[in-house]
Amino acid sequence: MNLVRRLVRWSIAAYAVLACTNDPYPSTDAPVKVLYRPFDEAPKTLDPAVAYTTTAHDISGLVNATLLEYHYLKRPYVLVPGLARAVPTAELRGAQTVYRFELLSDLIYQDDACFGAHHGGARTRPVTARDVEFELMRIADPEVNSPALEPFAHVVDLLAFRQRLTALRAADPAVAVLPVPEQYARARRIAGVAVTSDTVLELALAEPYPQILYWFTMPFTAPMPWEAVAFYDGQEGRPHLADHPVGAGPYRIVEYDKQSRIVLERNDNWHGARHPEWRAPGTVFPVDVPAEDLGVTVPNTTPGAPLPFIERVELRREKERIPAFNKFLQGYYDASGIVKESFDKVVQNDRLSPEMSERGIALRKSVEPAIYYVGFNMDDRVLGAPGGNRAQRLRQAMSLAIDAEEYLRLFLNGRGVPAQSLLPPGIFGFEPAYRNPYRTPDLPRAKRLLAEAGYPGGIDPATGAPLRLTFDTGDTSAEGRLNYTYYINSWRRLGIDVELQATSYNRFQEKMREGGFQIFNWGWVADYPDPENFMFLLWSKMSRKANNGPNTANYSDPGFDALFLRMKAMESGPKRLSIIREMRRRLEEDCPWIPMFYPEQYSLYHGWLHNVKPFGMSTPQAKYYDLDPALRAERRRVWNRPVLWPAFLALGLLLALVAPGIATFFRERQ
Amino acid sequence: MQAILEHHWFSNAVVAALLLGSVALSVFVHRNELWRGAARELGRRRPVALGVLAVYVGIGLADSVAWVDGRMQGEDVVSAHQPRSAVERAFGGRPEKTYSRPFAGAELYGTPPRPLAFPGRHPLGTDILGRDTLLLTLRGVRVALLVGGLTSLIAIPLALLFGVSAGYFGRRVDDVVFFVMSTLASIPGILLLIALVMALGQGTLQVCLALAVTSWVSFCRIARGETMKLRELDYVHAARLMGVSEVGIVWRHVLPNLMHLVVITFVLMFSGQVLVEAVLAWLGIGAAGSWGQMIAQAKDELSREPVVYWNVLAAGAGMFVLLLAINSVGDAIRDILDPRTRRERE
Repeated sequence: MNLVRRLVRWSIAAYAVLACTNDPYPSTDAPVKVLYRPFDEAPKTLDPAVAYTTTAHDISGLVNATLLEYHYLKRPYVLVPGLARAVPTAELRGAQTVYRFELLSDLIYQDDACFGAHHGGARTRPVTARDVEFELMRIADPEVNSPALEPFAHVVDLLAFRQRLTALRAADPAVAVLPVPEQYARARRIAGVAVTSDTVLELALAEPYPQILYWFTMPFTAPMPWEAVAFYDGQEGRPHLADHPVGAGPYRIVEYDKQSRIVLERNDNWHGARHPEWRAPGTVFPVDVPAEDLGVTVPNTTPGAPLPFIERVELRREKERIPAFNKFLQGYYDASGIVKESFDKVVQNDRLSPEMSERGIALRKSVEPAIYYVGFNMDDRVLGAPGGNRAQRLRQAMSLAIDAEEYLRLFLNGRGVPAQSLLPPGIFGFEPAYRNPYRTPDLPRAKRLLAEAGYPGGIDPATGAPLRLTFDTGDTSAEGRLNYTYYINSWRRLGIDVELQATSYNRFQEKMREGGFQIFNWGWVADYPDPENFMFLLWSKMSRKANNGPNTANYSDPGFDALFLRMKAMESGPKRLSIIREMRRRLEEDCPWIPMFYPEQYSLYHGWLHNVKPFGMSTPQAKYYDLDPALRAERRRVWNRPVLWPAFLALGLLLALVAPGIATFFRERQ
Repeated sequence: MQAILEHHWFSNAVVAALLLGSVALSVFVHRNELWRGAARELGRRRPVALGVLAVYVGIGLADSVAWVDGRMQGEDVVSAHQPRSAVERAFGGRPEKTYSRPFAGAELYGTPPRPLAFPGRHPLGTDILGRDTLLLTLRGVRVALLVGGLTSLIAIPLALLFGVSAGYFGRRVDDVVFFVMSTLASIPGILLLIALVMALGQGTLQVCLALAVTSWVSFCRIARGETMKLRELDYVHAARLMGVSEVGIVWRHVLPNLMHLVVITFVLMFSGQVLVEAVLAWLGIGAAGSWGQMIAQAKDELSREPVVYWNVLAAGAGMFVLLLAINSVGDAIRDILDPRTRRERE
């Protein structure tokens, strides 16, 4: 009898197991508008003054509202007001350029415990211009170590404030333990940041720098309550500010386990939620773009509707790309990129495959404002400026030998646009018709240039053997080696023998800093959509060797520098374009880089996700998205029907094996 | 030093030395009754495995003999000025643009796929850069033999030196050697390997050195124990009483009695090192051109659609057959040379 009871129990347990689904989410969430997204790398910090990775911006950009934003639909990118009433214009006051930001009134932060500790149990408090000033001081603070310091160095007295603060802390250790706002007050406020009322802040720049406005679209400059900095110090069980951002954005974090799951919910204190009647830009879906220019299909009810549509954003960590992509195909993530390995299954003839189309999946392609390039060390005596005209011809020849289109086809499934200059599409100065005379593969011409450089057939007269160069990389992986072998093989066709030197990434960085290299490759993703953000990569003041800047090629051309300084301070227009053309001409002749490609993002979206327009830059746009949870639940059910026959077959086989034993057992007992 | 080691004349000289050495070894084996019998027994027991090994060694040697002839391989201008091995000359010179299936006439991807420059001429297909997989697999033989052979040739003398010294002289020498062995044995092998390769730099020789440093300890323990046993034997005491020097005793009475262990360890260590190198290649720090590197480069290809299986399969098969043959021969050698199993047979 015992045995029969056991068998019944086991059968119930087996049925329970078989009745399980593969749905990783609770069934109660099915009717809710939850946006599910994967993330691969745990964010190191969400402190808006410090965070600079894509994942971190994906989160902190939703929590922290900024003074300015980008128009969601317009391209080229257009600035619109965020927390500010209007996008400020430059005002010349003597030698200074002043921007006057006026904040909207009646802005408040998300509910948070940090306010209660300082304001008698209050859950929130108003956002003021002082909070923006406080964040700018944090950018200047050497202990915060903000990566945004360089652009804000244009602010009058900001660097001096930094020095005063450092000196104060060094002179009196007691100052360093005071609350941060007190320390800042003792170091005297930044003269270039004037707060004239609770809602008005004036920013004075020592020289014209129109690009500063773009930095006000990023979380670096979002208003920061000093209470959060004081409260979230990692003491007495409180988290660090890096793990607990406090902002005035459309969402707030309700669960933060950065190794596995991050959940954000709508922030009811966001001004868009409290004052939908304002219809402020960035709080309603834009209506000022004609339907034919939207670049995305949106439901009729969407334009002008208040944001956000999504109630919750849930990010789950997926360390591996392929499982994340498979979960997208099962409907458990709403959007995805395309893993290289499945590209040919998903995209055929540059269009979505019939299999994917049948599932209602949409493919959106967008060229990112980024560039990948091969660079030469311009300090090198063979390849760089010391080599004079010979080196210039050599660089031009090497550029002509590289076929970017073929590279894209082999390694990126064609996902990219071969680059002709360093300015990608979407950036002022990009001209689709422009052709760089050294970027169309032409082997015979490359060989002629190489002979003019003094290396006929690639032979170095000094050694009588093929010219030997080195290509440095910090990628030691086997796949990486294949990439570099492509370049090396291309140059071998000219007769140049390039040796790959793959080292650890730290050693590679060290070599780049010391200038002990000849060829390297790297990429750059725009911080903001302005040509200055690309051209500065070759500005001599940004030389990596001299100033540890991003000009890794150590390119230095006084003519280019002069043009850069003029272009940098100008508003976009015909004059600026003509300067950019001249800069481009100089670069194409000097060839300090081989511009390779502008990466193209292929994104997949399920049919239930609406209003998605690829944005390019790492500014989260989830507040504009909408989704249909009923359709999602239905599709998930259809796509994830359990295949039970193998389990039943296994059970049958098991019974067939066990049954004779049971029969023998009973027979022997009788 | 590195330049000399990488020069093709050095490689050619090593091949010549190896050939001469093998002739000398065969003469020695032929003259020595014990070894002659063992060789005959080995040939009788494992003819196929020995044949396979001979083929591998032949390919490895053919790939080590290189010369410059001023002729280009495909469009590769540099190849006209660089030495190319006999294997490269026989199987190279048919580059394509990208992947193609075994014996295919067109590339794997693309709509429509582009025709190959050498249709039907790639028995094992081509990789992402259009390189012939058969050629890459054959070139992996030399690297495998080099990694297995060179590492064993560095590690075994090192282990013998320390093991015999510790076992024979004992006391302080034993304490020091045992301390070093214990220290090395307590460090996770793979971490030590990664650290050494990072410190020494990437290259076949460096990988061999790192593998040797991490693999001599186990044989050193065996050599030490065996020497401790041998030094107490009557004929060793007799030799000492007759005034034979300590070095002389080690040379004439201890080392010859360890030779069977050396041969067995060499064979087992050889196959082990080839496998460990594959792990290092997976981590991105293996020897250039190894099968491990081929597998690491092709690991994502198995999840492609359509699947690209031929690179992993070719490298895996190359490694599997070599290791199977070596282990099979090693097993037979152990049976033949081990005094206990030999007594049982007799």
